[in-house]
Amino acid sequence: MTQKRPFSKEIIQLDNIETVVNEIVMKLRQDVLEKLRLNGAVVGISGGIDSSVCLALSAKAFGPEKVLGIMMPEKDSSPDSEMLAQKLADKFGVRSIKEMITPALSGFRCYELRDEAVKRVFPEYHPETHKMKIGIKQSGLFTSLPPMFSLTIVDSDGNQKEKLLPVKEYLQIVAASNFKQRTRMSMLYYHAESLHYAVIGTPNKHEQEQGFFVKYGDGGADVMPIGNLYKTQVYQLAAYLGVPEEIIKRTPTTDTYSAEQTQEEFFYQLPFDLMDRFWYGYENGYPAGEVAEVMGETEERVLALYRNFERKRKTTEYLRMPPIRDYYQS
Amino acid sequence: MNNIKIDAPTIKEKVKSYIYQAVHVDKEKIRNDSLIFKEGFFDSMGFILLVTYIEEEFRIKTTDADLLEENFESIDAITDFIARKTES
Repeated sequence: MTQKRPFSKEIIQLDNIETVVNEIVMKLRQDVLEKLRLNGAVVGISGGIDSSVCLALSAKAFGPEKVLGIMMPEKDSSPDSEMLAQKLADKFGVRSIKEMITPALSGFRCYELRDEAVKRVFPEYHPETHKMKIGIKQSGLFTSLPPMFSLTIVDSDGNQKEKLLPVKEYLQIVAASNFKQRTRMSMLYYHAESLHYAVIGTPNKHEQEQGFFVKYGDGGADVMPIGNLYKTQVYQLAAYLGVPEEIIKRTPTTDTYSAEQTQEEFFYQLPFDLMDRFWYGYENGYPAGEVAEVMGETEERVLALYRNFERKRKTTEYLRMPPIRDYYQS
Repeated sequence: MNNIKIDAPTIKEKVKSYIYQAVHVDKEKIRNDSLIFKEGFFDSMGFILLVTYIEEEFRIKTTDADLLEENFESIDAITDFIARKTES
């Protein structure tokens, strides 16, 4: 039996990146070409670190000529996203196309339904003059209390107003915004099917396990090559694979709401490098006391964090489940 | 928002019946002092729904400063919180 390594701040770091990359690339080839019997890969590229690493891995696995990068901006997307995604595709010699999804989203009434809910909270909100975002109100990570969500609107002069979101409006805003990820998934499958390629899913380990993805949206794909990697490790791969520096240095954002918002602000409540280490401790059964000592925290706060992780994992389990169909067996 | 004057036992009964119908577990499992979040009876959506229920049923406004464990951790704590809010 192998002895568990003592917990340390560096425990999360991969010390054999080349081997890890080669293993992922080999498995990608086997899964896509042999198991799925498809000929290449389609990757939605957003200019973020996760999709960039997935594109680089795909180019290595199938050759750049068998990979298609697709940018799918909509009217709320940051212009930087498209510029960075293009730079990435150029860097790896991958063909890229742009599919503007705003008309499809308007057809689904994505913006209309979202704005209707925002206006119920802030009657003065107008989508032409205001930006909006939702975020976590209080940092509940170290308490047993789950987070509450708040809605922020920002007018053209930069003045912000914030209110706690009532449940009906929260659900409507999230459900309407999820059209974005689901529309992108449909577009990726259109191109994948027309080329006989696979859709490469870009969620990382945290997104998967904490449920920070949209079911049948960015959670809908044929393979997820970085689904078992911590964000810290995704950054290590990005540096090794030669992902452009601007992408590596960019703060991870949701790029979902019209006002700028980081992933930390929206969901994680902790910088990713800290989150990674605590999650590693939790997932690998390290006692809270041992982790607390290394991380300069109290045992009580680390225990509260573990309980939060447990709750997130449990309450998002349905997102990771396939449809339940064991109802009747003839 | 006009607060409703209501006595603590009535608040507690209302909160209990809301919680019992919300969590789908045997009533006996939740005592007045059970830690409803720490013991896993309520999740994130449960909390949002609970705050919405309290605001609508007792016509009180929850502020950021109210979002503390000591106000919501148990039936007793929620009852005290509502009683304080409706008195003010």
